[in-house]
Amino acid sequence: MAVCSAYTTQSLNSTCSISTPAKTHLGFHQKEVVFYRRSSKRGGSGSSSGPCVITCSAGDSQTVVIGLAADSGCGKSTFMRRLTSVFGGAAEPPKGGNPDSNTLISDMTTVICLDDYHSLDRTGRKEKGVTALDPRANDFDLMYEQVKAIKSGVAVDKPIYNHVTGLLDPPELIKPPKILVIEGLHPMFDERVRDLLDFSIYLDISNEVKFAWKIQRDMAERGHSLESIKASIEARKPDFDAYIDPQKKYADAVIEVLPTQLIPDDNEGKVLRVRLIMKEGVKHFSPVYLFDEGSTISWIPCGRKLTCSYPGIKFHYGPDTYFGNEVSILEMDGQFDRLDELIYVESHLSNISTKFYGEVTQQMLKHADFPGSNNGTGLFQTIVGLKIRDLYEQITSSKTAAPLEATKA
Amino acid sequence: MTINAMGEGAKYKGTQMTEKQLSEMIEKKVTEAKQVCEGDETSDECKVAWDEVEEVSQDKADLRLRLEVEKKDPLESFCLENPETEECRVYDD
Repeated sequence: MAVCSAYTTQSLNSTCSISTPAKTHLGFHQKEVVFYRRSSKRGGSGSSSGPCVITCSAGDSQTVVIGLAADSGCGKSTFMRRLTSVFGGAAEPPKGGNPDSNTLISDMTTVICLDDYHSLDRTGRKEKGVTALDPRANDFDLMYEQVKAIKSGVAVDKPIYNHVTGLLDPPELIKPPKILVIEGLHPMFDERVRDLLDFSIYLDISNEVKFAWKIQRDMAERGHSLESIKASIEARKPDFDAYIDPQKKYADAVIEVLPTQLIPDDNEGKVLRVRLIMKEGVKHFSPVYLFDEGSTISWIPCGRKLTCSYPGIKFHYGPDTYFGNEVSILEMDGQFDRLDELIYVESHLSNISTKFYGEVTQQMLKHADFPGSNNGTGLFQTIVGLKIRDLYEQITSSKTAAPLEATKA
Repeated sequence: MTINAMGEGAKYKGTQMTEKQLSEMIEKKVTEAKQVCEGDETSDECKVAWDEVEEVSQDKADLRLRLEVEKKDPLESFCLENPETEECRVYDD
């Protein structure tokens, strides 16, 4: 979809005609189309108004950039899948390219893995004694240049970090999409990159939950044991705390995942307490709320109208401050067991930016096999996906120039 | 009932090989990390060794997720174009 802003050498008057759609034989360079006034055969008007220059920017030069900070691998995370699903279509690796590419492409979105900006490959990092979490292992200059280029509608040749071999492979071409998501450890670390982001999210997994998840992830592997899993987390913690965690304060939305408070001494990490921390005053982003915006609410939906099984569901909503920023926090502790619980909860949330009643539930059901589909992680990831869609639509509609009216000479 | 712990879900030989390779790497790197850290747990070498373990563990998990949940072999589109290559041989279960 092309959006055209008209810049005229002189004021746009009735002698300048614009034909729609912008199909012309006169393209001087990619983005500019020059229309000349057709000479009027029925007697000219007084002054010649000269050419009207109309600059058309193709839809992709309005690329909206989203940053997602997560320590769970790249582009393959559940969050990304839910996000791309909200926009429709499944995200796939680029066809015909390097099968070890980390990039995912769908109709509307392209997801780039920030590991591709490693300046040191696995061997290099070993030599220098530097983990992947360390900024010294990453080329922020290149990250900034390329994200900036894509945002302004220019395709780039982006390196590929091959996770299997640990080497940097030859680059792949990334064409500007409507929505670019940069996912990885450092989307908000560099100030210049941060300024390019239209919206940013930080996935904050608490230590206990991280440990429980990694046990689930790794225990089946022959090489692993409780000790090795624990040792790996502990060894990475100093770098994580120094370089990754501080990005939280810049995020527009933080999804914090904690152990449940509903079951005393639970350490299985199966029932979760999830907090959606939303910054106030972010352009194009209106925080989700429960019942009464700005007030403090505690809500247990289970009761007469809704029966839930143990341990139930508990919600909390209220204003707060987070690293000096005004925020609103929506919190869910517990699990959904049935469809009607999910619909019931959805019907009581406000500002969720759905296009129809039940959209959140529908999205959750679509991916019922994804981790987190029965708790706050899935719920809030889905809601954030809808908020991003809303943000995208607001941004693109505000950039559309006022419709030009073709006037007859 | 035999459970094929490796290659479960992988369609192409190349992916089966990758899975096996990643599993072996995990084992190897855990052993390495334990050795390196014996001297000094706070050393850079120790940190890097466990970071490598994490990287490879995550890769294995990502591959497994893709195969089991999404039921898509990463070599799918490559093998459509190059069905004759060694890595695109299809495994019988």
